[in-house]
Formats: sequence, structure tokens, C-alpha cells
Amino acid sequence: MLVMGVESSCDETAVSILRDGKDVLANTVLSQIDIHKAYGGVVPEIASREHVKGVTMVFDTALKEGGVSFEDIDLIAVTEGPGLIGSLLIGINAAKIVSLNYDIPLVGVHHIAGHIYANNIEHDLEFPLLALIVSGGHTELVLMREHYRFEKIGETQDDAVGEAYDKIARVLGLSYPGGPEVDKRSREGEELYEFPRPMIDTDDYDFSFSGLKSHVINLHHNMLQRGETINVNAFCRSFQEAVTDVLVEKTKKAIDAYSVKGLIVAGGVAANSGLRKKMKANVTDIPVYFPSLRFCTDNAAMIAAAGYFKHQTLKHTDHYDLNGHSRLDLAKEGL
Amino acid sequence: MRKSSKTLVIDTATDYLYLAYLEDGIVKDDVHEPGKNDHSVKVVPKIKVILDKNKCALTDINQVIIGIGPGSYTGVRIGVSIAKMIGYMNDVDVYRVSTLALMATASKAEYIVPFIDARRGNAYMALYKQSGDTLSVIKEDRIENIDAFFSRITFMYDKVMTQKPNPEKLFNSEGLLTKVDDIHALAPNYMQITEAERNLRKKHAN
Ligand SMILES: [Zn+2]
Repeated sequence: MLVMGVESSCDETAVSILRDGKDVLANTVLSQIDIHKAYGGVVPEIASREHVKGVTMVFDTALKEGGVSFEDIDLIAVTEGPGLIGSLLIGINAAKIVSLNYDIPLVGVHHIAGHIYANNIEHDLEFPLLALIVSGGHTELVLMREHYRFEKIGETQDDAVGEAYDKIARVLGLSYPGGPEVDKRSREGEELYEFPRPMIDTDDYDFSFSGLKSHVINLHHNMLQRGETINVNAFCRSFQEAVTDVLVEKTKKAIDAYSVKGLIVAGGVAANSGLRKKMKANVTDIPVYFPSLRFCTDNAAMIAAAGYFKHQTLKHTDHYDLNGHSRLDLAKEGL
Repeated sequence: MRKSSKTLVIDTATDYLYLAYLEDGIVKDDVHEPGKNDHSVKVVPKIKVILDKNKCALTDINQVIIGIGPGSYTGVRIGVSIAKMIGYMNDVDVYRVSTLALMATASKAEYIVPFIDARRGNAYMALYKQSGDTLSVIKEDRIENIDAFFSRITFMYDKVMTQKPNPEKLFNSEGLLTKVDDIHALAPNYMQITEAERNLRKKHAN
């Protein structure tokens, strides 16, 4: 079964073609990162303008890369949310008109389900399974007892972890996107500052990063006021150690509580080298999977993979009135 | 522009969702209904309805006319994305038309001002002159202060906001339809750069 995936929820326009939810024939991503760099973050209106500019070219490139035509496609899967609404609507309407033109069944997919299923491209998911989703928009722990059923057991109470990374990077004068830059600097720095580990000992699986973020920003501000030199690398390292300690600790607690058979870490922050290292060092009794870097950041292969399993598991298809949603509940995705 | 054809007209740049199906330059069916920010939900289903009613598949359409704005940014992008995809998938001719010009085809008056509110006292407007079934541009599309624009028009005109267009007139009028040479390059006419770009330019100028 050939599935075409379409993703446009933030600042990448992406189309992929997968065979049977695994075999990647094409994975085209048109990234806008260089455009948004000048603004220090994603500007929604500019993102939408770029999506409509690039939409047909991305389909064309993916079909050529995959060596297939629209007539060969059996299912088209598209991100319906969560994300930037103006951006989502471009991918959704493009997918709908492809579906109508070639009479291909259509399925709307939750973006986070996509991030989780990015892992299934390279390894078979084994249940029960715990997924830690960490990105610019999300920080959550999701339990899966079977294919395409998601139970959210914990989430951030305030900032997403990637959001905190971007904010810290901006304060430290590092370039956008901040996550990879802080990660790189932290490898060259020492943990000179003792930053708080918010909620590390609480009895739930929730997170909070805004207090830590404020603490880092305040210290930075106070040191500048006192005329002290800022050791940027040490700031990055100390921040990264605090963040990854919390992520690893909470994840371990959930692994024990739910006796899962495997852990997957997904989303853009899954590319973080500090998190990868610490998680693998601390979770040794069950397999820990991180997707390869090209499947960590937003892509459409993950949407095609999730769409394939949504279609197979739930026998679900959508109609042409499919709409985009800036917010969307993951738990409802598998019902 | 061929008149002997099956033409689909799409405009999603205003509060009204507009679709028309034409055979040989004659409107066979159309949809013109007010929406509540729901063009994204309705446009593809309505395209299917209008085509089914006329026993025409989307792949039978051999030309598309797309309203490229100005108007609602989110709205216009929905129609333009769809038109781009149809043009690309079926390798058919796509013609772009100003949404204001398409609106102007609704009127029978000699002088016509199509009007889309743009808030803060501004609107997207233009001035067209009609003789017979032919429209010509007197004042090009613009975003301008409403009072300033109308204060300069000293003759009778018809202000068009919600009337149903008559796309048959587009074929008779010189220069209202422009053939898209490179479908990948087709983009809406926003008329303005984004606020973020404006601020960035200001910052660099200082
Ligand atoms: Zn994502």
C-alpha cells in the first residue's frame, strides 16, 4: 500500500511517499528556517505565504524522488493539527483536492501521532510503549498499549521544552533555531551554575520549564548588571543538564509505573545530543529508540506512517470537509 | 483563453465562497454563499457538488480561473493552493484574475467600485468602467483610506460588495485574465508585505 503524507503545520512544507507505513520512497521537506531566522522565530503569516508558494513544487519533487505518480497512491494522509492554522490549511486543502482528483481515500492525522510513528519507520513498535514527545510545541509522555491508541499520562504545565531552549538562546544572543545551538555550546561548556530541576520529585508525570527559564534569564541579567563576563557555554551546559535531568527522571518513573517494553523519544528535541546520551545511559533495561535526525524534525514520512496505521487499525477515512485545528487532543486520535 | 472548454472559477478571498462551472464560456452552475471563516471546510466539498451536478469530473476541467485577491490572506491562500494543485495535477491552463475585477462583473452600472473592507478605515478597492459586457480598469487595485478614495470620484458609481459575479464578462474584457506560465510560481496578491517584514525593514533602516 502506497501512502502519501502531507505536512504543513509549522514552517516546513513536506510530502513523503511510504510503502506499507515503513519503506520510505520519498521524503521531501521544504524548510523555511532561513527565512524565519531573521525574525528570531517562526512568523505565522510568513510561514503561510511560504507554504502556498512551495506547495506544488514539494508534491512534484516527492513524486519524482519516489518514481511514482499520483495514480499509484492508495491513501493520502495529512496533518490536521495541532499547529499554525493558516499553515495547516494549505496542506489540508492540497491533500483534499488530490484526494478528489484521483479518488484516493483521505485521512487526517494528529501531528504528535506522526512524531511517534516516525519511530516505526526504523523499528517495529512494541507494546506497551512509552513515548516522550519533546519539541518546540510539545512536552508530553504518552502511553500506548496497542497500535494507534494514545493515553497522555503527563505534559508540560507551561512552556514546551523546545520553546524554553529558543528563549534561552535568544537571551544568550545565539542564533535561531536555538535548540541545536544551545546543544552545541553545551558540549563545549562546564556545568558551572546550579539551576533548579522543576517538578523533578513530584508524584505525577508532568513538567514545568518556565521557572527554570526565568531563573536562567535572571541570573544572566544580574551578572550583566554586575559587569561580570558571561560564560555562554557554561550557561548552555548548566541549562541543558537541568532540563535533561528532569526529562530523564520523569520518563524513568513512568517506565517503572507502567512496565513498558520500550521507550521512544520523538520530536525536534529528540535530536538533542545531551538528551540522547543521558536517556541511553539511564534507561538500560528496555530498548530506547530515537528516530534518525531527518525523522526527528517535522517531515511528512511520519505523517504517512501514522496515517497508514490509523487507516489499518481504525478503518478510518475522512471526508472533504476535513478541517485544520490549531489545538487537537491526542487521546481522541485513537478513538 | 479558450471559450470552448470546461472552466472552473474559484474565489475564496472574500467572505463569500464563489465557485462557477462554465461550458464554452457560459455559466452552467455556480455557488455564491457567505461563509464564517469556513472556506477551508466548504470549498472542496462544494467543488465536488457543482461538478457532480454537471456530470463533470475534476479531471475533465480544462481551464481554471482563480481569484488571487486582494482580500483575506487565509482565505485567498485556500483557493490559490487548490487552483495550483489542479493546474499542476491535470496540466491544464490556469488564469488568474483580481478578486476585485471578478466582483466588478456583478454590476450592470457604467462605473463600478468593487469593495472589500480591510479594517481601520481602509479597504481594497478599484474602479472599473463598463461598456456593453466589457470591463476596463480605470483605477487599479489598491488598499486605501475609504474616504480619501471616494472623495476623488465625482460621478455616479455602483459599489459592489456581496453581489454574485458574472464571470462570462471576463472573456470579453481585455487584460482581466492573465495566463499563469509557471504554475509553481502562482501566488496570491496580498498587496502588502507582512507586519514582521515591515518592522524588520524599519529596524535595518535605523
Ligand atoms: Zn513537530
